[in-house]
Amino acid sequence: MRGERRKASSRAATLGGLGLALLGVLAAQPACAAEGREPAVPYVPTPQVTVDEMLRIANVGPQDFVLDLGSGDGRIVITAARKFGARGLGVDLDSGLVAEADGNAREAGVESRVRFLEQDLFDTDLGQATVIATYLLPFVMLKLRPRLLQLKPGTRIVSHDFDLGEWRPDRKTYVRKNVFLWVVPAPVAGRWQARLRIPPLERHLELELTQRYQELSAHARLNGVPAQVWEATLAGDRLSFVVVDTTDRENEASLYFEGKVSGSVIEGELIRGVGAARSVTGWRAVRRQL
Amino acid sequence: MRRLRVVAGAAAASWLFSFGAGAAGTDSDIPTPYLPSTTVAVDEMLRFADVGPADLVVDLGSGDGRVVIAAARDYGARGLGIELDPKLVQEGKANAQQAGVAHRVTFRHGDVLVADYRDATVITLYLLPNLVDRLKPRLLELRPGTRIVAHDYGFSDWKPDRRIVISKTYLLYVVPARVAGKWRLHFSQPEGEREYEFDLAQQYQEIHGGARVAGGYLPAFEARLNGDRIAFVLVDNGVSHRFEGRVQGSALLMEGTVRSGVGRNLDTGAWRATRVVPGASEG
Repeated sequence: MRGERRKASSRAATLGGLGLALLGVLAAQPACAAEGREPAVPYVPTPQVTVDEMLRIANVGPQDFVLDLGSGDGRIVITAARKFGARGLGVDLDSGLVAEADGNAREAGVESRVRFLEQDLFDTDLGQATVIATYLLPFVMLKLRPRLLQLKPGTRIVSHDFDLGEWRPDRKTYVRKNVFLWVVPAPVAGRWQARLRIPPLERHLELELTQRYQELSAHARLNGVPAQVWEATLAGDRLSFVVVDTTDRENEASLYFEGKVSGSVIEGELIRGVGAARSVTGWRAVRRQL
Repeated sequence: MRRLRVVAGAAAASWLFSFGAGAAGTDSDIPTPYLPSTTVAVDEMLRFADVGPADLVVDLGSGDGRVVIAAARDYGARGLGIELDPKLVQEGKANAQQAGVAHRVTFRHGDVLVADYRDATVITLYLLPNLVDRLKPRLLELRPGTRIVAHDYGFSDWKPDRRIVISKTYLLYVVPARVAGKWRLHFSQPEGEREYEFDLAQQYQEIHGGARVAGGYLPAFEARLNGDRIAFVLVDNGVSHRFEGRVQGSALLMEGTVRSGVGRNLDTGAWRATRVVPGASEG
């Protein structure tokens, strides 16, 4: 059975359980004010089923480095190593829990692939992770949000119960608890230009993107003529959108753009038309201004 | 090169002007003004439905035949167009000849509310909401997994499985298997066999339910139905069991694989459920 151990510990507003934890914030406040640390909460471990679901929707694999912010007894990082073949780091403010996590890692035989540090999550280098696991109070999530957005595009963030406010999750599942997944979006806002080689005519694409997290608003011109942009989506560094090409009135067709964003360049594949009339070319856009 | 402008397009005799003309119940007696879909709209419908050589595409209100002709010419599918206007039926046949796909497409003069198209794997329609809703009970009788693509107008209470907007709104519906009722769910695990009483309620493709076990109830999480494919998660004793399977033609049996546990190496077993009591079906 999963052990529902609860013990008060000074922990960087990391939660293990819902209602109790909220109560605990108040109860534990004086103790931690004395330490000059973040508000502490009682430690209630995430149920193993939820740990599994978090790692599953983040699609954790041997290539991943999982960072758990508020790692408690280490179960997320240890499960990631033992069951998904990943490496990982857990940080926690409670030295007792850090020692316990180290012990648990040895017991699970994964001590060579995981580490636990007594450290405040706000002093932790987030850039080393490909997957970040959190279970933090909403105000801490919001405080963390700007730092998460600056991570390498494609970095996955998983949480349960609490979300990131107006940054909507890319995926959400419900297995006993709500589990959320975000993929750090590439910064794509600005004006982009591309020359499209679609025989027999060459077309010039101007694309203007505005961005709110992964949500895009897009306007385009094709050979100087305004063209609406449809189904614009951004998942990490993967951008896709559709423009209906009316350059040749007798031969209208949709242009399906897919590309990878790296800095001020987007490169990828452009499909024109469907079925037997489908043609595929490469495309490359360059950002002219932010 | 002469472009098959008439031929290459999309569907649809439209009931546009019969709507609200006091014609309730007699839509099909009203001469149907004809509003062809654009080339791009035909393309999007067929692409959205993921049409391939194994498909029979049935266009309800086929007009000059552009949808089924494009399905045959561009996707290698077979096609059947049903059209109320005999002149358009003739036109569709001529256009199919001209496009060189006459052997793979058929046009039938008839009323979409009575015609037989039960072999369809894909249905395309561009009809007004009242007619779409009147077609719904017949469409729900089609083989589970049949894809229905509509543009502009969908069903009033059946939510699309997918929706895209490219100049127009396209809606994709997958005919769901009927799974509502009480089932006896059997599955094997390393620790041995288990049997649950399993209940499912259904509203079109949306399903929910759970398993009765000694001393409790296990809700089915992430329950999904896509045509005849079903998936759900049961959490028992802190272990998640992910069920995936198929509803068999009779809708009295479903079976598949269950993966239990965590991570990359899951315990895999077989499951099977037999329906004990059928539930009320929607629509």
